[in-house]
Amino acid sequence: MISSVRLKPLNWHPYIAPVELSEATPEQLEAMKVTPSAKKVSEYVRTLAHDPESYLARTVLFNAIMYVEGGLARPDRELGALGASLVNGCKFCAVVHARRHAELTKSDEVVTALYLDKPEALGPRDAAIYSFARRLSAAPSEATTDDIAALRSVGMDDCEIIDLIHAISIFGWANRLMHVLGHAESG
Amino acid sequence: MIDAMDKAAGLSPDEALFAARRFRPEFVRGAEECRLSVLQPANDQGLAPNLRVALARRMAALNADPILMAEYDVQLAQLDLTEQLLALAQGETDLIEPLATIVRHVDLITLTPKSAEASHIALLEKAGLNNPQIVALSELIAFVNFQTRVASGLRLMRST
Repeated sequence: MISSVRLKPLNWHPYIAPVELSEATPEQLEAMKVTPSAKKVSEYVRTLAHDPESYLARTVLFNAIMYVEGGLARPDRELGALGASLVNGCKFCAVVHARRHAELTKSDEVVTALYLDKPEALGPRDAAIYSFARRLSAAPSEATTDDIAALRSVGMDDCEIIDLIHAISIFGWANRLMHVLGHAESG
Repeated sequence: MIDAMDKAAGLSPDEALFAARRFRPEFVRGAEECRLSVLQPANDQGLAPNLRVALARRMAALNADPILMAEYDVQLAQLDLTEQLLALAQGETDLIEPLATIVRHVDLITLTPKSAEASHIALLEKAGLNNPQIVALSELIAFVNFQTRVASGLRLMRST
């Protein structure tokens, strides 16, 4: 038995000055009404609000990919997000989505295996998802038809695989914002 | 209607995967609105559409994605590009400022996002980019890296 890994949430701080609410344009204020995961208007939101058009379009898509009803189970989307975040080196996103995975599955086992770098401890479904997430996140992508075959062999249908591709890919996006425009600190 | 992601994935309307994509109209519509927001924004923050398409073509090449490169080549052919922007699109690094600093950043964040540090943002500031431009550039980089992954994932599904 390996002891379980419990991750504490991190705080994120931008490298550039975020938009001050008192100085925000009407368009920026309107855009900030939509937030990732329907959370508060964070420093991250105010930083990205410098370009309200892309902020709003991306956040709407992000929330659809992570929370839309039906299709791929939520923990599987979180596992895709986590695999991408580990490859892309975004510690903040990795911790957020590792914690969500543990909450949704009521288990630290998968997160523990990944943080201790023991992917061989994963069950077949999680292993297929995690391996695909890592390989699709490489730049250039290293994913092959074998990865898709592995997902199908654990029972995933086309709609679920499309959901997973989007969950991994949107973190190819989010990680390149969060880890590039700021840094994570504990406590 | 066939959209930019279908083209990037090589999908045609008579295919099962074209229909399967449309089980998620939120994703189809969302990806297209995102594309417009980074490539043809109403407010370009001073980063002209020509520069944006040239950078997108460069990033498609960094991702070794010939289909996406060809799609951006079609768009580039319709634009009036300076020699500098043509060279930028082709992956050249010997460019005038601030293009040289911008492409160094674009290449780094596309290929090795893990290695990003505060100093890289400071370099963009030093090259004269303001905060809206730094954010708009980051969103463009991140979008193309999203787009190539969705497209390559769909292509793999199609050939499995």
